[in-house]
Amino acid sequence: MAKYYDIDDIITEEEIVSVIFQKEASGVGIDPSSETDYIEAGSKLRQAVSVNVPPCFNQNTRLEIQADSACVDLRSRCPFFYEFGCKVAPLVGDRTIGFLLLSAFKNRYKEVLTKAHTAAFTAASKFWSILTKEEINMYEAAQSSMASFKKWRMGGPRLQKASVLGRKRKSTE
Amino acid sequence: MAGQSDPHLSLFSADELEFIAEDEMVEIVPNLKMDALNLISGDFGPFVPQITTQVPLWLAVALKKRGKCSIRPPEWISVDKLTQVLEAERESQEMSEKLPFHYVEISRLLFDHARDDIPDVYMVRSLIEDIRDVRFHKVETDLEAFNGRTIAVKIKNLSAMEVNIVRPFIRRALQAFCKHDSPELIPDPERVSDRRPQVANNAPRRQLRR
Repeated sequence: MAKYYDIDDIITEEEIVSVIFQKEASGVGIDPSSETDYIEAGSKLRQAVSVNVPPCFNQNTRLEIQADSACVDLRSRCPFFYEFGCKVAPLVGDRTIGFLLLSAFKNRYKEVLTKAHTAAFTAASKFWSILTKEEINMYEAAQSSMASFKKWRMGGPRLQKASVLGRKRKSTE
Repeated sequence: MAGQSDPHLSLFSADELEFIAEDEMVEIVPNLKMDALNLISGDFGPFVPQITTQVPLWLAVALKKRGKCSIRPPEWISVDKLTQVLEAERESQEMSEKLPFHYVEISRLLFDHARDDIPDVYMVRSLIEDIRDVRFHKVETDLEAFNGRTIAVKIKNLSAMEVNIVRPFIRRALQAFCKHDSPELIPDPERVSDRRPQVANNAPRRQLRR
């Protein structure tokens, strides 16, 4: 309930999953001859449907994440990869999704860590585009704290008047 | 009050840390005669010309701005000491304990307001910059060692400014690690998306399946 008004949480639940109906459902308003329908993740209807594994957790993605998780473009697959995974894992009943999420996050975290505190903003823009929402939050937090520190360090009376200038003025006056 | 600048990002801004660091004591050599100051934080003075006395940094800076004293730079602000510290920092992964908690802030305040009182100020300044870079790099390597079982981070002798810089990032990262590690430990589906860090689970966690 704490996340009821969380816009990210709401958008995450808009993610479409494919399901297979286990029981007959009347009045749902779909073509009765079709077996599949689209419902939102999280609305588990008393075992009335079984949820298929969403495409962003398919075998291809898993292989890519195993190969080099830091370079996988997770944003285009699902901008809320981790949150969506957490929500969908108990519905799908696939225990391996949890491990996939953790190992992916662990490896990508290192990349975010090294780039966030050091790389200049423009240099990192390409790297930026493959991050998921959660990673972007982390990245921005690090960047802004580093930027505010640099601003503080540069501020204040940093410029000194050259001694020559002071002397010149005195002689003319 | 702390954290007014931006409550979402970090608890303190750099300027607030500077304000806190101004309470550190420094030695000054006054060139005016003045009675002791009785302040809430304590009594300072009396001020007699050429007799050194201990005052907080903010008072030292205020007097220095008016040309009423010269600041004795702390013992650690010297080329010799800082060179030793830099070497020690480069040699080991441990953070050196020779620098004060507020070394970044104190050194900047002194560079800004009391340049003429520090011998070899350019050398000292670049040494402190180097030390800061080396230390920050060490913090980063320490943080890289994070994994799912991390519940807290322990880095000794971290200074105020360094910890302030990494705080927002670490907070989010730890939160995320806690969240993603929980389904492995707790198969209960309702608790999978639980955001709160599970502090109670201090027991060493199971090794990951690869």
